[in-house]
Amino acid sequence: MADICSPAFGTFFNNTLVPLMIYASTATAALIGLSYMAGTALSNPKVTLWSKTEAVQLVVSAISVFFILSAINVFCSINMVDVGAVFEMGGSTGNVYDAAESYLMGAAGLAHHAMIVVRYHLEAYTILSMVNMFECDFSTGTFGWGCLFGYSGTNMQPLGGYGAPMAALNTFFNSSIMAYFSALNFLFILLFVYKGFVFLFLPLGIFLRAMPYLRGFGSLLIAVAMSFLIIYPLMLAVLGMMSGVLLSYPPELSLASYDEQTFPDKEDTTGTEAAYEGADALHDDYFSGNENVAGAIELAAAAFIAAVFMPTVALLATIASINYLARLYGEEIDLSRITQLV
Amino acid sequence: MKMRYLLLFLFLVPLAFAAWQNVAMLAMGLSLTLLAIVYMVGMGFGINEMQMLAKDEFVQLIALAVMIVVLFAGDGLLNGISTSPAFREGSALTMQDTATAIIDTTLANATSLLGTISDFDASVATEASRASQCSLTGGGWSLGYGVSACGGYAMLAAPLSMSGGIVGFAIGELSAMKKLILMTETYALSLLLPLGILLRTFKITRGAGGLLMALGISLHIMLPAGVIFNEMLGATFLAHDHPADVEEQVADYRSEPSASIAECEPGDTNVPVVSAGWEAIDVGDALPDDWSDSNENKAVAGYMSLRKDIRAYIYTIFIRATLGPILALLMVMASVRALTALAGAEVDVSAISRFV
Repeated sequence: MADICSPAFGTFFNNTLVPLMIYASTATAALIGLSYMAGTALSNPKVTLWSKTEAVQLVVSAISVFFILSAINVFCSINMVDVGAVFEMGGSTGNVYDAAESYLMGAAGLAHHAMIVVRYHLEAYTILSMVNMFECDFSTGTFGWGCLFGYSGTNMQPLGGYGAPMAALNTFFNSSIMAYFSALNFLFILLFVYKGFVFLFLPLGIFLRAMPYLRGFGSLLIAVAMSFLIIYPLMLAVLGMMSGVLLSYPPELSLASYDEQTFPDKEDTTGTEAAYEGADALHDDYFSGNENVAGAIELAAAAFIAAVFMPTVALLATIASINYLARLYGEEIDLSRITQLV
Repeated sequence: MKMRYLLLFLFLVPLAFAAWQNVAMLAMGLSLTLLAIVYMVGMGFGINEMQMLAKDEFVQLIALAVMIVVLFAGDGLLNGISTSPAFREGSALTMQDTATAIIDTTLANATSLLGTISDFDASVATEASRASQCSLTGGGWSLGYGVSACGGYAMLAAPLSMSGGIVGFAIGELSAMKKLILMTETYALSLLLPLGILLRTFKITRGAGGLLMALGISLHIMLPAGVIFNEMLGATFLAHDHPADVEEQVADYRSEPSASIAECEPGDTNVPVVSAGWEAIDVGDALPDDWSDSNENKAVAGYMSLRKDIRAYIYTIFIRATLGPILALLMVMASVRALTALAGAEVDVSAISRFV
């Protein structure tokens, strides 16, 4: 169960956040009340008008907070299996928050899987490229007469030509690392939201929205809280419903085919084996039917779509929602710079 | 009176739909109730802004009802476009199948070309690494020499490595496109579009809803359309009746790579003899008879034959595997931008455009 839906979070919410919001609302209401009284006493219509406007805004803030809390409760109780049934498809399980977390963990897993497969190829090619061979002149089978009384023959790197596939794989090793970090980054944002820090924006937002010159900032805080608690997990949960395609990969690229233990296991035996069986035997040591450069690239590309492209769409929707909500509260906020950071 | 008829209509509409349409109607009903409350509060407290907001949202709700009806009809329209014979080839049933078939063919070609480049690279690296050594040891004395006469081949490794990188990138691009098409074929009309409509009902989720709707339609139609469009352009170019001098070059685009790397003699230190400077030989010219008498010349001959092969790679790698996906993704991005605006959700998709 996601932290945000756990009983422990409920305790934190009731003992910490609710009192904070009550303090913020009370302080704001007191400030508005005092301003109204001062405006009436001084017969200053500007101050009384301000007080009335802020009273309405305080109600709007309170309704917003109530709405956010209701939405969280609903999200915690929605079963994604039922949602999938509405659209006649499987995919996610658990509530909305669980489904969002589960999708990002799956995407990070896929990106890590892609890293392992690409790295396996790169490591094998690097080792094979470095192999040196000395071919004695006048050879009879594996015995070279040219080396009988000295050292006569040709020195070469029989498996040195992996520059092209390594160049291709290097790009995708970088891309899968980026996909992995990206998925972890999105997951971190989600967990950051679940841990409740965003909730601290709510009391601050209630208070600041009523302060002169700080309406925009207060609105932004409430809009951020609302968007990251509702839109972001919701979009990720929708992606989770598509995990059947987004997180799938061909069975021949399963991790069982790319056991990294192969490399230390082969270290002691390869030299002798190559002397008798030729350089190709070394190649077969590392690749027993699992050499698949195009497949590794395909997996890295799938990881990019699942861990970078689609979560970015979710984050863009969230940022768009912040903008939209801030406008709903009557403030225009230019978030285009933040969008460019995505 | 009109309002009552409208409400009656809205509550009767669910009977004509099934599954997600029912949920969409329920969402609309809920949204309508909330709007009524907002309007009443606004009226009760004399807050004009709240009344305006409720009216505004009511218009959006009507727009949404229209969208649902359009989708119900448009579902058939989108399927009609996707199954139109103009966008299909061979036995493919839909344009998505056609695009997938095109991508599969291109992917197979690109993978084969990567294999060819890797084979050249392996030959070149093996030849370049060859060095001849001879030493005699005995009776307390030693005599020997070492010759690296194949160093000229090393110049071929860098361009082959770069080619491998480019072809690998093309394979990655095609694989990503294939994944996106598979995703939209499975989920665009059955999940993204209806869920987008559902989310668009509420003001707070309007941005997300609009984006999902735009993504669903754009990926479903524009992505395969871009792939098919590019393929049509390329195929038309290749099939065109070109003038003889152009046809000679175009024929190279249709050809298979045929370069060869000659074996190096590691102990041969002959100085290259060339009757004409290699820079005077054009791509496709026959090499002079005295060309292959040294390792350096063999390396340059390998370079010349690889250079002649470049056109055999260009069509698959640059036109079909690179330009095609870029074109398709640009079409998708332009479409998403237009449709999100149409759906009333201003989402800045420039961040996704930068992936292209």
